[in-house]
Amino acid sequence: MKRIPLFLFVCLLVSSCNKDSETEVYVPVPIQVEWPENFPEMAYNLDNNPLTEAGFELGKDLFYEGKLSSNGAIACAFCHEQAFAFTHHGHNLSHGVNGGVGFRNAQPIQNMAYQTSFMWNGSASHLDLQPIIPITSEIEMGETLSNIIQKLSADSEYQEKFDRAFDDGEVSTENMLKALSQFMVMMVSSNSKYDKYVRQEDNVTLSTIELDGLNTFQQKCTSCHATDLFTDQTFRNNGLPVNPLLNDTGRYEILEDPNDLYKFKVPSLRNVAVSGPYMHDGRFATLEVVLDFYDAGAVDNGNVDPLLLREDNTYGITLNDYEKESLIAFLKTLTDNEFLEDERFAEY
Amino acid sequence: MKLLKYTFAFLACAAITSCSSDDDNSDSNDLTGQTGEVTLKFDNGVGDQDFIFGTTYNKSNSESFQLETLKYIISNVAFTDSEGNTFMYPTEDNVFIVDEADGNNAGEIYITLNDLDAADYVSVSFGVGIDQDRFALGADGQGDFLDEASDEGMMWSWASGYKFIKLDGTFSTSTLTDEPLNVHMGSVGTALDNYREVTLAFPNTVLVRDDASPEVHIKADIAKVFDGSTTANFADGYDQVHTDVNETPIIADNINTMFSVHHVHND
Ligand code: HEC
Ligand code: HEC
Repeated sequence: MKRIPLFLFVCLLVSSCNKDSETEVYVPVPIQVEWPENFPEMAYNLDNNPLTEAGFELGKDLFYEGKLSSNGAIACAFCHEQAFAFTHHGHNLSHGVNGGVGFRNAQPIQNMAYQTSFMWNGSASHLDLQPIIPITSEIEMGETLSNIIQKLSADSEYQEKFDRAFDDGEVSTENMLKALSQFMVMMVSSNSKYDKYVRQEDNVTLSTIELDGLNTFQQKCTSCHATDLFTDQTFRNNGLPVNPLLNDTGRYEILEDPNDLYKFKVPSLRNVAVSGPYMHDGRFATLEVVLDFYDAGAVDNGNVDPLLLREDNTYGITLNDYEKESLIAFLKTLTDNEFLEDERFAEY
Repeated sequence: MKLLKYTFAFLACAAITSCSSDDDNSDSNDLTGQTGEVTLKFDNGVGDQDFIFGTTYNKSNSESFQLETLKYIISNVAFTDSEGNTFMYPTEDNVFIVDEADGNNAGEIYITLNDLDAADYVSVSFGVGIDQDRFALGADGQGDFLDEASDEGMMWSWASGYKFIKLDGTFSTSTLTDEPLNVHMGSVGTALDNYREVTLAFPNTVLVRDDASPEVHIKADIAKVFDGSTTANFADGYDQVHTDVNETPIIADNINTMFSVHHVHND
């Protein structure tokens, strides 16, 4: 992985004959994605898309670019706002071009390099190809890939940016998707109070109530919200009552396997205090309501995760008032202000 | 050690970026260095009939169908010669869409493959759809095919992935008439792999030479999509096939039985 930039550099010196002198030259300046010591293995294969400064910058421009949508107004960032861990603040369901309302709550974009599948039902399995879904979806961005490439090719600034970011310098779908991935791969949130506590950095300690919350969390939540990503990356049904208006069957949509009914990707809980509303349809506005739901609101919708079955044959996770209070105190330690305010990811 | 690394990098670069200068080999008896082209002509039919849009075809279970769209993805075309050597067409160019609407008057769709090593080829193999390795490469492995597939409607917009085959039209059964028929079978990430490969022996040897461009006439019997190794009835839900974990592998296996080489031309 580290050898790639060297390889490319040597290539650049050697391959004088296949490149006619262009205005902008591709001189890759490699950048490193963080791999915090408390994180699991990275899932994204950097060998196929080595990160460079110019590639990352181009990806950022594209993420904030309205031209990626049919009406010129809906950029990725429209639904993914940095201050809210790149979610669509204030919207339980996202809306896109022409005011169309989508079916699901926008997910945070953070630590994508460590994720093995994307979207609430896992309908994307490779980060590079995920953007094709919002771009071509009629209710989100309503565009076609070739149309975007036409628009970007007509823009001399983008021409130059692609020249700087990629060896072949082409304004192409392949390079656009690679750049978007480079931007998203770099978006690592790993500097919350909790992180500093577990990595024993800066003498950070947790208060008694935060520690009690962590303790309860480890007993009652980590079977699904596992590892320091706070998700085991599986699809599960946590007993939410089915909303008949949407009848969102979740993972079932993909393989039409009855065992998958109402299963959704276990969400990471990083920055959860700022990424509300909660659940795949954004039905809960606060963390208090989420915990009340786990305690007393889960229903037997036919396929609930067996881990949630209680001795009295009801589904849920019993939580007393102090456990709820301390869990929320703990969840707030997962807020990473360095990430939420990181200028590298900001529009301006 | 460092030096070794540099040397390696240098050599690899030199190999990759050597300016194209065809070292022409004019020794006519020796095939080494010679290259040629082969055209695969895909010819869709239904049983013994030519395939024609809008024509109603009968299948088993007293069901029938007619189509307005008929497309599929072919990839990883490779040829094997009489000595057992395999020539794999360069991976990044080795993916094609066979679209009946692109057919000539005879309903044939051509895929022309250039720069094949000259040899006496005895069989061809190819896959229908996109294999797991190519998909796992992300944007890097898809290249310009992304735009082509997207423009041709061969990608889903609700999930990221390819439709390996796209049949759109209507069907009728003993109880239903002209209901929508949509078979959009594909793989689902690594969770469901519906890529299949087929190997077809040539009835006579295909001679690829500098000065010979053989044509291989491949018949695709669309009836096999529904009446292949397994019978798939519209009445049982095979009128709408997308990513279903049970239905799609059956369609994938059926499609794998639909190809045959009818004849080859060595000119
Ligand atoms: C109209 C609002 C909207 C726009 C515009 C939008 N998204 Fe999203 N995004 C969503 C929603 C809603 C989800 C969750 C969808 C689902 O699960 O079905 C999501 C999910 C994602 C995910 C998956 C995150 C995870 O944890 O799995 C990524 C990555 C993503 N979007 C990136 C992008 C990119 C890149 C763009 C621009 C090309 C974009 N989005 C444009 C609303 C939007
Ligand atoms: C059986 C697995 C499981 C257990 C145990 C579990 N969760 Fe969840 N959790 C899920 C799933 C699945 C979702 C998403 C459900 C959906 O949207 O349909 C979720 C969603 C959430 C959300 C909403 C996050 C967001 O971004 O929308 C919060 C907060 C949450 N869980 C906290 C907890 C806490 C705290 C505990 C322990 C008291 C817990 N969970 C235990 C599976 C689980």
